Amino acid sequence: MRLTIRITAAVTLGIILIFSLYSYLAIQRERQQLKKNLSREARNLGGSLLFIVTDLWETRGEDVAINFLRRRNLLSSNLQARWVWIDAEIGTPFRPLVPQSELSSLSDGKPLSLLVTSDDGHDFLLTYLPTTNLLGRLGGIEVRESMDELHDYVQESLRRSAMVVAAAVGSALLLMTLLGSIWINRPVRRLREQAERIGTGDFSTALDIGGRDELGKLAGSIERLRGQLAAAKEADDEAAREQIETLEKLRHTERLATLGQLSAGMAHELGTPLNVISGRAKLIASEELTPAETTHSARIIGEQAERMTHIMRQLLDYARRGEIRKQPVMVAELLANVVEMLHPILTKQRIEIELNLPLEALQVRADIGQLQQVLLNLAMNGIQAMGRGGTLRFDLSLHPEDENQLRISISDEGCGIAADHLPHIFDPFFTTKEVGQGTGLGLSIAQGIVSEHGGKIEIDSSPGRGSCFRLSLPLDFGEDDG
Amino acid sequence: MNHPLPNDQKRPPSVLIAEDDQALRELLSFALCRAGFSVACCNNGKRLLEMLESGIDDASTAVDIVITDLRMPALSGLEVLEALFDRPERPPVICMTAFGDAKTHQAAIRFGATHTIDKPFDIDEMIELVRAVYNYNNSDKE
Repeated sequence: MRLTIRITAAVTLGIILIFSLYSYLAIQRERQQLKKNLSREARNLGGSLLFIVTDLWETRGEDVAINFLRRRNLLSSNLQARWVWIDAEIGTPFRPLVPQSELSSLSDGKPLSLLVTSDDGHDFLLTYLPTTNLLGRLGGIEVRESMDELHDYVQESLRRSAMVVAAAVGSALLLMTLLGSIWINRPVRRLREQAERIGTGDFSTALDIGGRDELGKLAGSIERLRGQLAAAKEADDEAAREQIETLEKLRHTERLATLGQLSAGMAHELGTPLNVISGRAKLIASEELTPAETTHSARIIGEQAERMTHIMRQLLDYARRGEIRKQPVMVAELLANVVEMLHPILTKQRIEIELNLPLEALQVRADIGQLQQVLLNLAMNGIQAMGRGGTLRFDLSLHPEDENQLRISISDEGCGIAADHLPHIFDPFFTTKEVGQGTGLGLSIAQGIVSEHGGKIEIDSSPGRGSCFRLSLPLDFGEDDG
Repeated sequence: MNHPLPNDQKRPPSVLIAEDDQALRELLSFALCRAGFSVACCNNGKRLLEMLESGIDDASTAVDIVITDLRMPALSGLEVLEALFDRPERPPVICMTAFGDAKTHQAAIRFGATHTIDKPFDIDEMIELVRAVYNYNNSDKE
């Protein structure tokens, strides 16, 4: 809007200046013209009167001639003529209205016109028509003409000019406002809105203000910019989406890898009860057992089937995949469960386990499968770090600094983590294991899961002595409180 | 199926079972007893090695056949085999693995196992195997 105001002001000023100058010159010219007309009229009249007066003077004497002039003046008050002697003394009746010095050119016999201002502020045009034919003395007719009419005319012209200027300024203002609004304000406002939209990251709206002027070209540039930004954003979004998908896939892969490791242990766990069941069943089928032995065998079959069911359930719980399904989880039970799942691997690697649980029951709201994955993952890290055996310790307690959180510590006596690796261990794909041994995603995924549950994982490690992963999770005081 | 052994040994052939799972241990022990073997048990590799070493040194507690699990606490079955590898007097060893892959079987054979058998196995097949190994070994000695 300011731009329009400025342009309007400049144009208006220009109009005023041009009109004023034009009016001034026009009035000046008219004034000159008018004065020339008046002067010519006075000279004509004066010339005629001089001829008559000279004639009267010569035939009927001075008095008749002077009286003729006086009588003639009665006819027209606007145009007064009288007889003057140019060299008349001050105080005599025929003295000219202007000093004698200004009339020196009359001695050449040429008429003379002068503009004078009377004492009361009225302008007059005095025209002198000289003659030396009477008495041999320089005399003449003095025609006095009031310039009031000229004044009125100039006033009228000025007023008219002022009105024209006002009208011109008015229409200019109106036009400029109207056209400025259509040509400048509206497109500029739309450009500004578009720029602001782009600024806030909204690249969806196209802008076409039309026209081939500068604003139209600017709009074209902005439109191209928008297109480029939108394409860049689209590519960015696409990349982010792909990355998320890839991570999601890797997360699944990592899960399957852990699952594979666990499956080997599970096979052992399942093989044995299957063996017992088939063996006991055969014994019963042989019909050679005493009734007591048969009962015993049948009971063992039942127990082993239950054991297998339990193992399968654990495996399925772990492998279950999908959205987070949070539910109240008794952490002590979960830890016991994890320890049980790890048992085959621990036995194989000659690792002892120590599980320290608090007296009070600590409960969190969590996806049991995911939390189990985290604990298994941290434990597996500890186990892999203890190539020569040792003790893997699980401690569950209230968080020492925050009574609304609990803390699970998983400590190993393994090789530890080098100080320069510590800041990176939660980075995706960071691994110190040999190629093919680890994806480098386990801890990253564990960290992600714990964050999704409102907790965090911290780590303490001294190379050569072991590491301790400390997992904090918000306690759930929910339903079981009531 | 439950026949006495087809030879005239003075004492019944003795079998030493090393298995950490109690239920399986009991089953094997029960079934082999019924099949006419004298059975001793232990639940880890370390104990197995101790019993074998005393048996090798003392004929009265000698063991004719060993059945061992490969995965066990303390010492694994493979480690026991390794420890006994250079003892020519060692008894034949039948190794049990749970869904073991070819590598595990090969490793056991390489370390001197007479036979390997996958869990879950048929209990009658196991008894037949024990019997066959015992017979083969004894006829071999004669």
